[in-house]
Amino acid sequence: MGIRMTARLKSTLSTYFDEMGKAGIILKSASAGIFENLALEDWIHDHVDLQNRSILLLWRNSPVVVIGRHQNPWQECNLPLMRRLGIPLARRRSGGGTVFHDFGNINMTFFTSKKKYDRHRNLKVVTSALKALRPDLDVSATDRFDILLNGQHKISGTAAKLGRTSAYHHCTLLCSVDRSILSSVLKSNTSEVIRSNATLSVPSPVKNLSDVDPTLDADTIMEAIASQFNNEFGFDSPVITVDPAHEALMPGIHKMTNDIKMWEWIYGKTPKFSVCTSLVVDDVNIKLDMDIKSGTVEKCAVEIPEDWLPPETVNEFTSALNGSKYCPNEAAVLVAAFMRTRSMSADVAGKIHRLCEGVLSVM
Amino acid sequence: MAMCAALRCVSTNFSAALPLLSRPAHIWTCQNSLRPNILRTLYTSSRLSGALKFTDKHEWVRVEGGVGTVGISNFAQEALGDVVYCGLPEVGTKLEQMEEFGVLESVKAASELYSPLTGEVTEINTDLADNPGLVNKACHEDGWLVKMTIEKPAELDELMDEAAYEKFIKSLDS
Repeated sequence: MGIRMTARLKSTLSTYFDEMGKAGIILKSASAGIFENLALEDWIHDHVDLQNRSILLLWRNSPVVVIGRHQNPWQECNLPLMRRLGIPLARRRSGGGTVFHDFGNINMTFFTSKKKYDRHRNLKVVTSALKALRPDLDVSATDRFDILLNGQHKISGTAAKLGRTSAYHHCTLLCSVDRSILSSVLKSNTSEVIRSNATLSVPSPVKNLSDVDPTLDADTIMEAIASQFNNEFGFDSPVITVDPAHEALMPGIHKMTNDIKMWEWIYGKTPKFSVCTSLVVDDVNIKLDMDIKSGTVEKCAVEIPEDWLPPETVNEFTSALNGSKYCPNEAAVLVAAFMRTRSMSADVAGKIHRLCEGVLSVM
Repeated sequence: MAMCAALRCVSTNFSAALPLLSRPAHIWTCQNSLRPNILRTLYTSSRLSGALKFTDKHEWVRVEGGVGTVGISNFAQEALGDVVYCGLPEVGTKLEQMEEFGVLESVKAASELYSPLTGEVTEINTDLADNPGLVNKACHEDGWLVKMTIEKPAELDELMDEAAYEKFIKSLDS
């Protein structure tokens, strides 16, 4: 039912669309990589003429947490747990809140001109497709552009970006996501100690479509959505598979993919925030105060009883962290270097080590 | 007609010369070719540079003392809905005209901001960090976004004045 894109000499995806001459095009990504797929969205948004053309892109990813453009990952998700589980973090360019993706989740991106930007109409494509598959299904879109199942459980969230002349609206759809992983990674271990003006997610109880109907699988649903997209807008596009790794077809997409993998984008774009907490190390109460800007420690202050550690040592410890990335790996390396370059008693070394662990626990 | 054309031509040169006090020779050339009453008119029109000029992307810029203050128009803030976050550049960022310099997040979407002029960012509105809604409540005053130098004053002439901008947004509805 689909068409796989093959590169023709000197043809890019954009010129291919022009030659197709269709007003509506449905694409499906061949990749399960979040960075490749986000870059594919960026490439289409930047390079394809969307003034008289609308595109629907269907994509799925291996397990990943995706935060919105202006969010703080330390507030939104459990980073230590994600590191242990090998679940990466990505930051998208659209606004909105934090979501967990795995293969049980379908992502849909609707690309249009700014004039034709209409999130409600796009969500109607989704709800109508589901109802065409299962007429008794109670699914409806809300004012916040969520889709609710049985009026109670969120099965879809929305985010969007408006550019120079075009826009995209993307949304998720929970078909058969691992809900226990979802709820544990989306619960931050440090949100109470953070003061920030970053945009916050609105937590909602969620459900999978497969919870109410186990026969509903992602492939069936994607096919129904593609079909309903054609119906709703009067298009007649087949589903075209696109490989976002195909640089010849989409010149510049490799750089776009690499740009959003960078620490400076994922963590560095976090709005300025401060961390204020009490650690207990060796039964001693330690007050920790840090200011973080662009993901980098701008100020690090520790209040420690003088009889536990000498103040000069404490000052040197905080200086070592000043200017470093707010990242447990980097902090650990810096503190280890700090300890190697100073002679200290085993007692002091042990305390610094445990203090460092306490500080790392909030990163 | 010719006099009007001469006035417009000279006033452009004058506003270009305004921040460049190190080029008195240029100003002298203007003054030499004019009669006193036209000079007086010139001074008046330079004061008008406090008025708003608009881009077709719905940003405005107000020039005062060689510095441009940039914000978004009432049309834009209404279309955006409640702004929840202002993503602004660092002071010192150099911008080309039409280059993306920031993003406003609202309930509607994350909307990119495009620089109306070529110049360098000298100040950002830090009030917006805790109060992004100022962009909606006072888009022409307290809701300003950035201040920047004006490297190419001729770019100002390409922008719409208030009357032209009003006409422009009316034409968008059709």
